[in-house]
Amino acid sequence: MAQMSVVELADVVKRYDSGGETVEALKGVSIHVDRGEMVTVIGPSGSGKSTMMNIIGLLDTPTEGTVRIEGEDVTDYTSDQLTEKRRSSIGFVFQAFHLLPMLTAVENVELPSMWDTTVERHDRAIDLLERVGLGDRLEHTPDQLSGGQRQRVAIARALINEPDLLIADEPTGNLDQDTGGKILDELTRLKEVENIAIVSVTHDEQLEAYADRVVRLVDGVIQ
Amino acid sequence: MSPPAILREYPSVLMAWRNLGRNRVRTALAALGIVIGVVAIASLGMAGAALQSQATQNLGGLADEVTVTAGEDNPAGLTETHVRKIRQVSTDATVVPVKANQTRLTANGEAVRAGVLGVTQASALYDAGAGEVPERLESGAVVSSNLASELRLEVGDPVKYGGQLYRVRGVIESSGGFGGGSNTLVLPLSALADQRTYDRVTLITDGGDAARALAAAVDDRLNEREQVVSATTSADALDQINSFLNTLNLALLGIGSISLVVASVAILNVMLMSTIERRGEIGVLRAVGIRRGEVLRMLLTEAGFLGLVGGLAGAVVSLGVGLVIFQTLAGDPMGALAWSSSQYLVYGVLFALAASLLSGLYPAWKAANERPVEALRG
Repeated sequence: MAQMSVVELADVVKRYDSGGETVEALKGVSIHVDRGEMVTVIGPSGSGKSTMMNIIGLLDTPTEGTVRIEGEDVTDYTSDQLTEKRRSSIGFVFQAFHLLPMLTAVENVELPSMWDTTVERHDRAIDLLERVGLGDRLEHTPDQLSGGQRQRVAIARALINEPDLLIADEPTGNLDQDTGGKILDELTRLKEVENIAIVSVTHDEQLEAYADRVVRLVDGVIQ
Repeated sequence: MSPPAILREYPSVLMAWRNLGRNRVRTALAALGIVIGVVAIASLGMAGAALQSQATQNLGGLADEVTVTAGEDNPAGLTETHVRKIRQVSTDATVVPVKANQTRLTANGEAVRAGVLGVTQASALYDAGAGEVPERLESGAVVSSNLASELRLEVGDPVKYGGQLYRVRGVIESSGGFGGGSNTLVLPLSALADQRTYDRVTLITDGGDAARALAAAVDDRLNEREQVVSATTSADALDQINSFLNTLNLALLGIGSISLVVASVAILNVMLMSTIERRGEIGVLRAVGIRRGEVLRMLLTEAGFLGLVGGLAGAVVSLGVGLVIFQTLAGDPMGALAWSSSQYLVYGVLFALAASLLSGLYPAWKAANERPVEALRG
């Protein structure tokens, strides 16, 4: 049996009701991402990239089609079941970092597992921050960090629950070329060393160069 | 600032604390609303308690007493036989037969009208403010404080009644209540020996219920066919006063709770605004796998914090207000610490906590149940 994909969409259709008009954002999308693979999704705005990322990240559910995580059909999961799945399997790196301003770097990293008092999350959070080179910024709040440092905190946060899948929305979008390059090196290390599957959305050609596979989405269809 | 390790065990508390710290002015104003609400409730409650305590202080003695006077079928008055029969019924009460008269008293160049009472068990009826009120008044006199001041009498001074001199042995303590302001000269029963009957018999019991029972027993024993005696007690009247004061207290608390309702609306507003502002953040929380219940708990803890901090601050202020109220109404600030009054501090805090949690419920529920994909869109 071939290696099971970390995430798989099969014939996914997503329709929205928008002002009495039905908009079809995804028109039968099939995609899979395997362990240790970095897939980059590109496409013009309005092409359905965000919708697809939301469905891959279990933040949204498809109108038709099937979503599988590690071979498990999660299409009809309830909202609470999806939350559990996100918590256990998926790490998010958002475009605008989305760090909580009142928490320190280490608390931001701990956030996804903060309510799990059973795990030793504090030491792991420090460990992750040291790994992304922020060992001396543990108690800094986001406004005391540079853009690149914030992005690294966001990556550390995405890794706290040891996910199988990392979803990165424009991970280098707000960064200069040099800093962006460092982030890409870190992502490459994650997929190669940690064997994590990575899906990223980007306009950045640099990021395309790092990808194992580039998927082009136009008008809700993969080209 | 690194939070203490203990706080990490309670993530909802940690998050709530940090969130409230973000907009201190707003947090302080919301808490101030609660402070005002609690002060309104607690100090009105304590004012009611002070009124009640003062009323009980002034009237409490009356409730224990049964006054027996001659009935309408007995124009002759109360005889020794009647008193004996009353004694037979009143096994657990102190029986004080009283003869009464009116006279004009002169001393130190002043003249006043005064009531004269012939009583043996003086100490059962009166407490001494100066000198002594003897247990058995066989000689000498006791005067009311009012009479003492009008005639400028002091302990040891002579008072003349019925052609005989009586030395003042004590001045009755001014109760501040009913009767304390009258001119009363209390003499041994022998001073009124020319009056053959008693004007009344005062029975002193252990409390209002005993007084009521005894009044009924006296009525049963002596009024077989005719209304020989009339036995009355103030216990019923006092109960009515107390019940009125209780109603008044509830009305005061009702007025006070309106301000707490207003304060909870303020908290509702603050919580709604702050959850709407943080919509994206809450979306991030939900996206990274924080459960709905955990978001709900975090936001409820915030509201609870506002209520608790505001409530406790309000209780401290109310205690100060209570001390002033008791000093003014009852003359004893420490009365505010008694449970009958300090309970309103506890109620105030509990009320504040409950009101805050209730107002936090809707915003928290709304935020926790929003789909993360919607919330993330901001």
